[in-house]
Amino acid sequence: MSFVEKLQNIDRRWIYILAWIFVLYPLINPLGLPVPIQKESTAWNKAINDIPDGSVVVFSCMFSIASIPELYPMTIATFSHLMTKNCKIIVATFWNDGALVFDQTLLKQIDPATYGKVYGKDWIDLGYAPGAETAMRAFADDMVNTFPSDYLYSKPTSSYEIMQNIKTAADVDIIVSFESGTPGVGEWLRQWNTPYGTKLIVGCSGVSAPGMAPYLQSGQLNANLPGLTSTAEYELLIKRPALATAGVDAVSMSHLLVVLLVILGNVGYFATRGRKS
Amino acid sequence: MVELITLFGTYIAVFVTLGIFTILYKENPWYRTSESLFLGLAVGYGVAQQMLFVRDQWAGQWSKSSIMMIGYFLALLVGIMWYFRFSKKYFYIYRWPLAVIVGTGIGASLRTVMIAQFLDQIRAQALLNLWVPNNIWPTTINNICMFVMTPAVLLYFWFTGADSKPGFMKYVDKLARYTMMAGFGSAFGYTVLTRYSLFIGRAQFLLGIPPNLAEGYPAFIVMALIMLASMIGYDLMQKKKTTAV
Repeated sequence: MSFVEKLQNIDRRWIYILAWIFVLYPLINPLGLPVPIQKESTAWNKAINDIPDGSVVVFSCMFSIASIPELYPMTIATFSHLMTKNCKIIVATFWNDGALVFDQTLLKQIDPATYGKVYGKDWIDLGYAPGAETAMRAFADDMVNTFPSDYLYSKPTSSYEIMQNIKTAADVDIIVSFESGTPGVGEWLRQWNTPYGTKLIVGCSGVSAPGMAPYLQSGQLNANLPGLTSTAEYELLIKRPALATAGVDAVSMSHLLVVLLVILGNVGYFATRGRKS
Repeated sequence: MVELITLFGTYIAVFVTLGIFTILYKENPWYRTSESLFLGLAVGYGVAQQMLFVRDQWAGQWSKSSIMMIGYFLALLVGIMWYFRFSKKYFYIYRWPLAVIVGTGIGASLRTVMIAQFLDQIRAQALLNLWVPNNIWPTTINNICMFVMTPAVLLYFWFTGADSKPGFMKYVDKLARYTMMAGFGSAFGYTVLTRYSLFIGRAQFLLGIPPNLAEGYPAFIVMALIMLASMIGYDLMQKKKTTAV
């Protein structure tokens, strides 16, 4: 078997070993590759900066534990950025693990009290409601009855000061949603953006990014932060380098490996195709 | 100093992470254990969350009047009817709650789907600005590409199936195929980004990169060595068994 034929039959386990090396090496020895700031992260930063004082924000972790590695850094960065703004934040999710992601991981990194935010007055965690799109519709029409009690203290939602003037989606200025599938952007658009005109910005896993492009172009989506690379740019923009910035060298190296493998595969394919014919 | 329970949790998390990664080598007991653990926890957690919601709904609004109580118990009854899916004799009962769920889901989405995901897209396409003097590259070029490529792909699918296409449509077909290939390429690139991002996130945990616990790194070394040794042992044992047979 010639070299080019061997290229067609590399044992996948060698590729996995290469993947481990290409990811672990830059994490252990950071290469300091440049991180050019692109328009997605700039638009995201602007969308958060432009939230007017006194606005009401719905903050939603619409992803499961499995998507934490990619979506967690952008969720932390955005939540910390929102904490510096003078706005009311309602945390709610329609994904089973969303409440856990927020409560067990995000709140351990960011304590709203250190930003002077008071629970029940400046922000509230309503937790999870099952039912996907129908629940999102119910939440838009009647927030308190969709989440009769809050997630952190199990007290009646209506008893909190923050909920006194926030009843329906019409009282919300912007949705900040992080998501990796359905329910997600389509449901927010159908049940919130179109009927109530609520602004929407979405942070998503890279694999969902092409699906966001039409909504971004039509203006239904005000900003989109796709994947780890854009998150690294955003972290640099808000001067809070963290997990995404630490991982961006590994992203570059892993993509380099994939490009090399695609080139090698093509070389092998075209070389052997000529011989067979 | 890290608490013992946190340290224990870190070791378990490292074990499960590496256990799942061992599938890259081949099917093995570590992988199956980790997979079952994950599935069991996910299902258990999911059920608990749903039950919490049912409880909160009762306490929060449905227990306030007798009419609402009846409504609540009717909803519970519809929920219980789902379980007839597991009965061959009464399977038809399962179709009723299914019809309710499908009906409400479609009804809720149909309200605005035409505007949100059809008309707004057409409007955006019609309003494309084909000449942006201060931004020829990339905005003007991008807009021209979208103006030409989107109808090309739509025409490609409208006229799919015709044996022979008129001359002009051949060019449209070719343009549509190139457009779709560009779309698939972009989707593939982003998919690679996502898959590697997931791996990088777990690698950061294994290496103890903040805000992950620093104890993850020694746990990674210890657990990796134990798993490697046990998998080599397992492999040799399997080979011996095969030879004996």
